[in-house]
Amino acid sequence: MNQMTDLSTSDTSPMLRVTDLAHRVSLETDTLTILQGVSLEINRGESVAIVGRSGSGKTTLLGLLAGLDTPTEGTVALDGAEISSLSEDERAKLRASRVGFVFQSFQLLPALSALENVMLPLELAGIDAPEVRAKELLVRVGLGERLNHTPRQLSGGEQQRVAIARAFASDPVVLFADEPTGNLDNRTGQDVSDLLMALNREQGTTLVMVTHDEQLAARCGRQLHIEAGILTEPESARERAH
Amino acid sequence: MAAKQKLMSVRRDWRERDVRVVLVALVIAVATVATIGLFASQLQRTLVSSASSFLAADRQLESENGRPVPPGWLEEARDRGLETGQMIEFSTMVFGETGFQLVSVKAVSDEYPLRGEIEIQPGADESRSIVDAGPGRGEIWINPRLLRLLELEVGDSLEVGNLELTITNLLIREPDGGFRLSSLAPRVMIHVDDVVGTGVIQEGSRVEYIYLFAGTENLLDDYYQWLQPQLEPSHEWEGVRDGETFSRSLERAERFLLLGGSLAVLLAAVAVAVASRQYALSQRDTVALLKTLGLPSKGIGRLYLRRLALWGLVGVLGGLLVALPLFWVLVRLLSDVLEQPVDFYLDPSALVPALLTALVSLFAFAYPPIRRLRHVAAMRVLRSQPGETGREAIPDMVIAIVAVFGLVWMYAGEISLVISLLGGLALLLVALALLGGLMVAALRQVRGGGNAWRLALVGLYRHRRASMAQMAVFAMTLMLAATLILVRTSLLDDWQAQLPDNAPNHFLINIAPDAVDDVEAFWADRDAPLDTVYPMVRGRLTELNDQPVKEAVSKDERVGALNRELNLTWMAALPEDNEIVAGSWFTPGETEGVSVEAELAEQLGLVLGDRLTFTIGSETVTEAITSIRTVQWDSMRPNFYMAFPPGGGLTDMPGTWITSFHLDQSNKVALNEFSRRFPTVSVLEIDHIIERIQQIVRQVTQAIEAILALILAAALVVMAAVVSATLRDRQREGALLRTLGGQQSLLARSTMLEFALLGFFAGVLGVLAAEAAVYALQVRMFEGGFSWHWQVMLPIPVISAVLLALFGRWQLRPVLSVSPMLLLRRLE
Ligand SMILES: Nc1ncnc2c1ncn2[C@@H]1O[C@H](COP(=O)(O)OP(=O)(O)OP(=O)(O)O)[C@@H](O)[C@H]1O
Ligand SMILES: [Mg+2]
Repeated sequence: MNQMTDLSTSDTSPMLRVTDLAHRVSLETDTLTILQGVSLEINRGESVAIVGRSGSGKTTLLGLLAGLDTPTEGTVALDGAEISSLSEDERAKLRASRVGFVFQSFQLLPALSALENVMLPLELAGIDAPEVRAKELLVRVGLGERLNHTPRQLSGGEQQRVAIARAFASDPVVLFADEPTGNLDNRTGQDVSDLLMALNREQGTTLVMVTHDEQLAARCGRQLHIEAGILTEPESARERAH
Repeated sequence: MAAKQKLMSVRRDWRERDVRVVLVALVIAVATVATIGLFASQLQRTLVSSASSFLAADRQLESENGRPVPPGWLEEARDRGLETGQMIEFSTMVFGETGFQLVSVKAVSDEYPLRGEIEIQPGADESRSIVDAGPGRGEIWINPRLLRLLELEVGDSLEVGNLELTITNLLIREPDGGFRLSSLAPRVMIHVDDVVGTGVIQEGSRVEYIYLFAGTENLLDDYYQWLQPQLEPSHEWEGVRDGETFSRSLERAERFLLLGGSLAVLLAAVAVAVASRQYALSQRDTVALLKTLGLPSKGIGRLYLRRLALWGLVGVLGGLLVALPLFWVLVRLLSDVLEQPVDFYLDPSALVPALLTALVSLFAFAYPPIRRLRHVAAMRVLRSQPGETGREAIPDMVIAIVAVFGLVWMYAGEISLVISLLGGLALLLVALALLGGLMVAALRQVRGGGNAWRLALVGLYRHRRASMAQMAVFAMTLMLAATLILVRTSLLDDWQAQLPDNAPNHFLINIAPDAVDDVEAFWADRDAPLDTVYPMVRGRLTELNDQPVKEAVSKDERVGALNRELNLTWMAALPEDNEIVAGSWFTPGETEGVSVEAELAEQLGLVLGDRLTFTIGSETVTEAITSIRTVQWDSMRPNFYMAFPPGGGLTDMPGTWITSFHLDQSNKVALNEFSRRFPTVSVLEIDHIIERIQQIVRQVTQAIEAILALILAAALVVMAAVVSATLRDRQREGALLRTLGGQQSLLARSTMLEFALLGFFAGVLGVLAAEAAVYALQVRMFEGGFSWHWQVMLPIPVISAVLLALFGRWQLRPVLSVSPMLLLRRLE
């Protein structure tokens, strides 16, 4: 709660500040460097696209930014909180209250209905009347008629819309999306990204999105390139950002 | 095709968790049922052989027509590999220096006893010893009472008919002494080859030829098959099972084992069913893929059928691999308890139920869901299809239930067992449906989480379908386990009550009416007070409703009671362990009427009001039946077929008194003094019999505990299988919840709570259903009364809650121990 009030008072501080980030994993024989020398700031309300080849380390970076993992070197500050100094449970709390996720493969629980899937983060956060809020969001993403359908009964695009509703359910301040349209056809991808951008605007969320899709990347305020674990930002974009 | 074979290989199978669960369930099923089967038959054999000493053999053939049986019968037995022996029993007078006495002679062959031991004493003050053969030719062993009656000493000679024999030992205890009040004359034992020399046995003498047989049950059965058609009505083939004091205990132990085995069958079936259904669900994608590759439904059916057969093979072999060492350990334990080596008895036929269990669980439980795989749409490859509604599974379930109960029926051979269990299960499902409906309605109201409790409740609601299914299986499993625990407890209690430590272990018979007070005082002084002392008059039932009884009762009723003298008594109070089933007990002051033992009444077709005439010596007494009562024949107390009221028709008849009492081992020396002071009173020492029975009870108890442990282990495995059936979903959910910000500790606690609640309610339901089943079982199979068992039942829901909470926590372990990032990579 303290941090929540911090947020409103320190609106000018960056949402994400990354300094000298490196990430290595040890394999059986040697260690693999996935990320190296990454420094970066993302301001509140910004929308940022991270593009790069497969295997370049996009997902790894996203996970570190979201506090799903701790970096081998360097620091990540999310909304003023230094992630590597937090315990696993504190990071979880932070995620529950500030962070939303959208995944390439939707990650809905097959046994639960659309409504129950959207209610999950609300229940975790201990929010009252989660059902009301979840219904609202599902109506907003155009699935008001499909509340009790399970993921199996929904198409890919519909599933991703449920996932988007779930991502926005707990009023996150920052949304991480890992190739949200990667599993969808062009048309549907377009619809889903429209929805994502629209909700993002409505809620004033900071958006960090990994994508292959040049068009989608172009719709973000800023593009970052990553190659072999090294992050670069095109000159023009950086100017626009500052 | 190579790829297809690869897809179907067992090595690959084993790497799949669901297959492992099916195989483990099968192995456990086969192992449990086989172990119980093997152990039960071993136990039965051990018990029979330890009980056999009561017959001095495994079987006896009695010839009651005063003629020996054809020698060919014995030759045949020996040819078949049986041990044989022979005894001749008759009454005669023996003559000593100072007088003569009627004795009951038992002449035995060299082989006697084939089972059990003889206890002798080489002189009145010498120490007793145990031997395994009877007297040699020219010797006679005599009851100590005879020694006193005829003022003899060991070493003196005694005339039996024309033969003079030397007293070489006192006969303290014979293995087949049994407990016959009718043999009141002192016992002497001689060698069978001396019988002819005595010249006592003439044409028409009252004499019993008894033949002893020992060998394996199979040999004995085969021999009896051969012998049976040649037997005459006066021949009686006797095993320990019939009518002996402890046969009821044996029977109950056997039933318990059967029950245990049946429950093992049920549990195994449940485990296999759960695991294979899970497997079938997980196979749908593979099947869809095979279909797109062009494999027809038929081919798919065959593929899976072959796979099932392979599993069956692996399950059976694995099960036997587990069962045999386990059996070995149990037998070792048994021999420790018995403090004597026990021969292994590997009964191949005991394995049949295990094999059938594997077969039935595979084909009635595993096959149906797998068979339905044929109908999976190839379309599934492109787009995941709605899941099964579960409705298609209903006919399968009906088949499965019929199959498994058929199996239990075949196995236990008791329709009442099947009905009791089925009834308990039906009750359980009804209660579950009710409770489930209520719970889901109540849980629907729980909103939001934040704390572990609310999250747990929300979780229960979220997984309501899976939760209900799991609860059904848990409750069933717990019911079966609880049933067994309950039956065990009441069985043990019952035995304990039947033979308490201070159970009477000595009888005093033949107490003269005027000596009763002195005898009572004698033992009261020595801290061994007598139980009730009953008068005993011996008489024959001669007329029924003023008709000769042999005419009144139909011929084919071979009622032994009519051919011999009955023990009649009079008493004011109904003995504690007797129970009136018809009419009413004598009121004080009532002097008319007679109370008849229930079984005899049934055999003779007696009803209240029938007039019975007894001939006692030269006199007759006629009374109408005023009550019918049951008697505990195995109570080790004097029991009577006929009881008259005090002051009734029996009062003036000549009779003696009889009683029983408990005498501690340390106090046994007092018997010597007693015998000196009351030489005419017979002391029947049955403390050995009682010890023996207690030993048997201890064995059976051990066996029961072992089997209970086995079943509980099986129950645990079933529960683990059921919990792990949802493992994948749970872990997926756990991973997602963690990325969405669920704290490890919160997730851990809420999951544990969720499972604990599930376990608790399942426990409560299981316990209630078990009480119902046990009620039915107890009343029908174990002939016991029924009472609630709170102290046994209360812990079960708690234990099941704790266990399931731990299972749940264990299941989440991989989700809680790594970073959410790694989890996400796994989810992708
Ligand atoms: N825990 C790990 N252990 C081993 N290798 C890893 C691990 N995490 C990531 N990698 C490797 O690091 C590299 C970067 O992975 P990452 O998932 O970040 O790539 P990506 O840019 O998201 O690729 P894609 O576009 O295909 O999703 C890959 O080569 C991957 O195999
Ligand atoms: Mg990626």
